Amino acid sequence: MFNISRDFAPPIKMIEPFFVIGSIFYALGVLFLLFLDPSSGHVDLVTVGWAHWLLLGFVMMTIFGAMAQLIPVVVEVGHFSVDLYYIIWPSLLTGTLTMVAGFWWVPDVLAYGGLLVLVAMVTFLFETFLTLKKAERITLSVKSVMWANIFLTVAIVIGFLMALAIGEGVVLDVGKWLGAHAVLVLGGFVTLTIMGLSLILLPMFGLSHGFDETPITRAYQLMVGAVIAYVVGTLIDWNWVRWLALVVAFVSVGFYGYQIWIIYQTRARKAHDIYAKTMYVGYGSLAVALVLGVVTLFVSSEQVILSAAWFLILGFFSYLINGHLYKIVPFLVWFERYSPLVGKQKVPMLNEMLPERRAEWQFWFTSAGLVVGGIGLLFGSSSLFHGGVTLMVVGAGFMLSSVLSMLSYGKELNISRTENNV
Amino acid sequence: MCNVTKEQVLDSISTVIDPEVGFNMVELGLIYGVDIDDDCNAKVTMTLSTRSCPLHQMLEQWVREAAERTEGINEATVEIVWEPAWNVTMAADNVKQALGAM
Repeated sequence: MFNISRDFAPPIKMIEPFFVIGSIFYALGVLFLLFLDPSSGHVDLVTVGWAHWLLLGFVMMTIFGAMAQLIPVVVEVGHFSVDLYYIIWPSLLTGTLTMVAGFWWVPDVLAYGGLLVLVAMVTFLFETFLTLKKAERITLSVKSVMWANIFLTVAIVIGFLMALAIGEGVVLDVGKWLGAHAVLVLGGFVTLTIMGLSLILLPMFGLSHGFDETPITRAYQLMVGAVIAYVVGTLIDWNWVRWLALVVAFVSVGFYGYQIWIIYQTRARKAHDIYAKTMYVGYGSLAVALVLGVVTLFVSSEQVILSAAWFLILGFFSYLINGHLYKIVPFLVWFERYSPLVGKQKVPMLNEMLPERRAEWQFWFTSAGLVVGGIGLLFGSSSLFHGGVTLMVVGAGFMLSSVLSMLSYGKELNISRTENNV
Repeated sequence: MCNVTKEQVLDSISTVIDPEVGFNMVELGLIYGVDIDDDCNAKVTMTLSTRSCPLHQMLEQWVREAAERTEGINEATVEIVWEPAWNVTMAADNVKQALGAM
């Protein structure tokens, strides 16, 4: 008799589509950059369409998939109903494709795409809030995830209204609300989610203990305040409030960076493996994005805005996500295929399930491309930008191949937990 | 009177390996104590390297099963405690060395 609770690890067949689709969107998203003109502004519909491709198809898709495993880890209770994740990826996939088609070719379908994305996100929020309700210990991570999801709720309502405005002629100042939508998604949801999860995951993987959590507490409070202030500033149309909110958000990121440094200093596990190296570049990119972000407060330059966004999205967000895929995917595969064999036969360690060489190639190609492409954007050099993107395309190919390889590890065992009386 | 020793139970538990770090539970210093009563029932007191460990339930189960595999042990129970909180100084020297912590 084998009796393993599935509360803390959803079945791989449920999560696999999120990671495969996310990696394909990442690879194609980087590929599309070859055809983008770096001199187009950040409000150009082609750029906005690309941003939705990457943020919905890669960032959100992968975060949602990861959350199926990580939410129980954070709140220390099982899901309310993990089966709802079967609804999320199909609606998010079709919604994203429809929205991007709306931005690039047929504005009329934008609202329909927005509706499908709304369904995916409302389902995610419904499941998440009901799981959070079961939490017995309200830690900082739980609070971060809760606020992140509140901001996501507001962001998707605003986003849907903007889609109606572009596609169906609903009266709304899209230019004015675009900033609030971006701050709610990037600062409110993605950054707060990363803050909350990294307080759990970085010490877990680095074996850090007994460190001071004051900086991340400040970071969390300031980011929540900054996002609320930015939305209020947009509502009442006070530019100085929005400007001040951005300053507070940057200070929050500074505190967060300091917390990461403390965790790094107190870690017991000093190995510079693929996970650690990916984190170094991810947080390095955050520092560069922060500096460039501060510059945009004083200098109005489209190149600086785009390069700050480059290091934030393709540096920080992408590295944090891809780095954690090297941890989460082997764990889920191991849990599904090898945990029933523990005590019966030799099972692999998680690090043995990594396609090490491919992961290394992915890291070096992507990192070189990130730096070269970022410099190209900053100095307005189209050839440098496209050169960097080409390197990143190769890296993204290795990433996709690594994810598929990890997912197929031990597939021939054909063991399911159902067969083992779960 | 039970003749099974604490060391025999620890030997069995040392077959349980944390797949993330690649060391067994005993050398990681996660097993705080083993008590064996006169009827040869074992009570294992252990912790985890983090409260949010996704393998929480499985590690608990594997340790219980491993303790019960010890020859002479009737039944084993496992209690997970959080005080004192685990840190790397509780691990064996070979673990600390391999992790780069010494």
